Amino acid sequence: MAAIPSRHLARRASGSATTDPLWARLALTALALAFVALFLVLPLAAVFTEALRRGLGAYFAALAEPDAFAALRLTILAAAIAVPANLVFGIAAAWAVAKFSFRGKSVLLTLIDLPFAVSPVISGLIYVLLFGLQGWFGPCLAAGNHPWLGAWIDARDIQIVFAVPGIVLATVFVTFPFVARELIPLMQSQGTDEEYAAISLGAGGWQVFRRVTLPNIRWGLFYGVILCNARAMGEFGAVSIVSGHIRGETNTLPLHVEILYNEYNYVAAFAVASLLALLALATLVLKALVERRHSRALAGANAG
Amino acid sequence: MSVLAAHITKHFGAYCALDDVCLNVGTGKLVALLGPSGSGKTTLLRIIAGLEHADAGCVALHGVDVTRTPAGKRRVGFVFQHYALFRHMTVNENVAFGLEVRSRSERLSKPEIEDRVRSLLKRVQLEDFGARFPSQLSGGQQQRVALARALAVEPKVLLLDEPFGALDARVRKDLRRWLRHFHDEIGLTTVFVTHDQEEALEIADEVVVMNDTRIEQVGTPQEVYDRPATPFVYRFLGNVNRLGLPWRGYEPESSLATPDGPGAIFVRPHDLTINRYSVGLVGEAGLIRNIHAAGARVSLACERSFDAAPVDVELSRAEFDTLKIRVGDPVLLRIRRNKTLREEYAI
Repeated sequence: MAAIPSRHLARRASGSATTDPLWARLALTALALAFVALFLVLPLAAVFTEALRRGLGAYFAALAEPDAFAALRLTILAAAIAVPANLVFGIAAAWAVAKFSFRGKSVLLTLIDLPFAVSPVISGLIYVLLFGLQGWFGPCLAAGNHPWLGAWIDARDIQIVFAVPGIVLATVFVTFPFVARELIPLMQSQGTDEEYAAISLGAGGWQVFRRVTLPNIRWGLFYGVILCNARAMGEFGAVSIVSGHIRGETNTLPLHVEILYNEYNYVAAFAVASLLALLALATLVLKALVERRHSRALAGANAG
Repeated sequence: MSVLAAHITKHFGAYCALDDVCLNVGTGKLVALLGPSGSGKTTLLRIIAGLEHADAGCVALHGVDVTRTPAGKRRVGFVFQHYALFRHMTVNENVAFGLEVRSRSERLSKPEIEDRVRSLLKRVQLEDFGARFPSQLSGGQQQRVALARALAVEPKVLLLDEPFGALDARVRKDLRRWLRHFHDEIGLTTVFVTHDQEEALEIADEVVVMNDTRIEQVGTPQEVYDRPATPFVYRFLGNVNRLGLPWRGYEPESSLATPDGPGAIFVRPHDLTINRYSVGLVGEAGLIRNIHAAGARVSLACERSFDAAPVDVELSRAEFDTLKIRVGDPVLLRIRRNKTLREEYAI
């Protein structure tokens, strides 16, 4: 022992065996912060600076423009249809996958992942292929080719591609996996014992779902819905293909941003983009609140 | 209330879980389904509860065929291995669940439900824990909440799946005595599943020993321990030596020979005695290999000289002390009492 220099011993005592030298810690932290600043904070800041370059007046003028307002309305409409639809489909799919075993389950799982795996542009093209005038269902949709269906469609002037229904369909498709993907691992980890317990206590199927399954997944579900909503509002690729870019009619916010940008109308483009960024920020704040509430509920349940 | 399960067969895909099993549980009995994992005991319990459906056979509770009755209408209380308490509900809400999901016409009023919950929690000694969540309770407390929840709907039969499986040894012992006491108080026909023979033998009125999709033997704890019906039951309930014949000093009443050889007998370690080796004494020669003297009884690991087979012997401390033997000593092994069983030959 006496042979060990005292300097060595002192170092051992001050720094624990699991801590790296100070310079390494500082360098790594700085690197991480620089990365975050460069790739996340800077673009966000750029959106708002560009939007406000000509002052608040120009900013609000760009937002108050009827086309921008129509794009906002369409974006909210598409999300308002896609999110509840995927909420229902997602719960149903997750419930089936996590609580039951059946033939073709792995096929269903793969199908749920399909919208994530396929490029959104391709999903958009699929809808054009299916419902476009030259598409598979095109002749059905064209008035006159089908005696009563054609007349019915004609009377109501239904058009799918290059119209609102196509945009909604594409949005539903692209955002399909969010809720289901969020719920499946959660429901699988929870198992089926509580449901069986409820059944043996005399609860019916709906009671089991409403009183046992749903409360157990509510935070995961809420989180899935928030993510789904964020994507539904921000979707560009698929919607861009099926929209047709008709100003004031079939433009969503992301598409409107692109048009304005291509017209060198930078202030308006960034103003509308800032609207989307604000929606995203609001979503993230909501998400953080949900998470905090969730962890507090957990902590509350664990504490005496 | 009696439980009858007749000719139950159940497959999971290609895997056979139960093969033509018949079970009859008398009214007010506390019965243990005992067997190793994979013997089908939990599946049988879930079929009685209606949580699984048998491929063939029928289930009757108190003479009423319930084979096609859904689980919720069977009036069966089921306690799950890991309790399956509703984690987002308080203890009170958990216990009240079965009463609150009833249809409006059968439902009790709110004060009545509260009364019932309070008296049930009192019965399982948890009256002060009603406002807690399951995660705030110990394993033993959760177990009792699960029991109270199952009893709330006034079941006619109580089924418990590995009720002590998830608890530590100390709590387990206390809780199983408590369950026996509890059963004597309420007199509800109860079936519980366990893989722990000590547990089954200690508290059950009747033990049903299961192995490999079938029932091997049914009897009181003493019957199955002292007079096992099959080699499996012998091995499963306590330690046993399988001694190949011939054994010096032992004459079987009838031939136990099988096509494989002269046969074997089964003897429990405490049914063997040991003498120091001496010429003129009758017994099977062996050597002491190991002595385990910590505890009230002394276990000796011997080796039979004839075929070098290990033989376990258990002696009282007094017997061991008078013998004065040590590891490596030659001894003579003699049989006090045995059970002769004809082995089913290996195919």
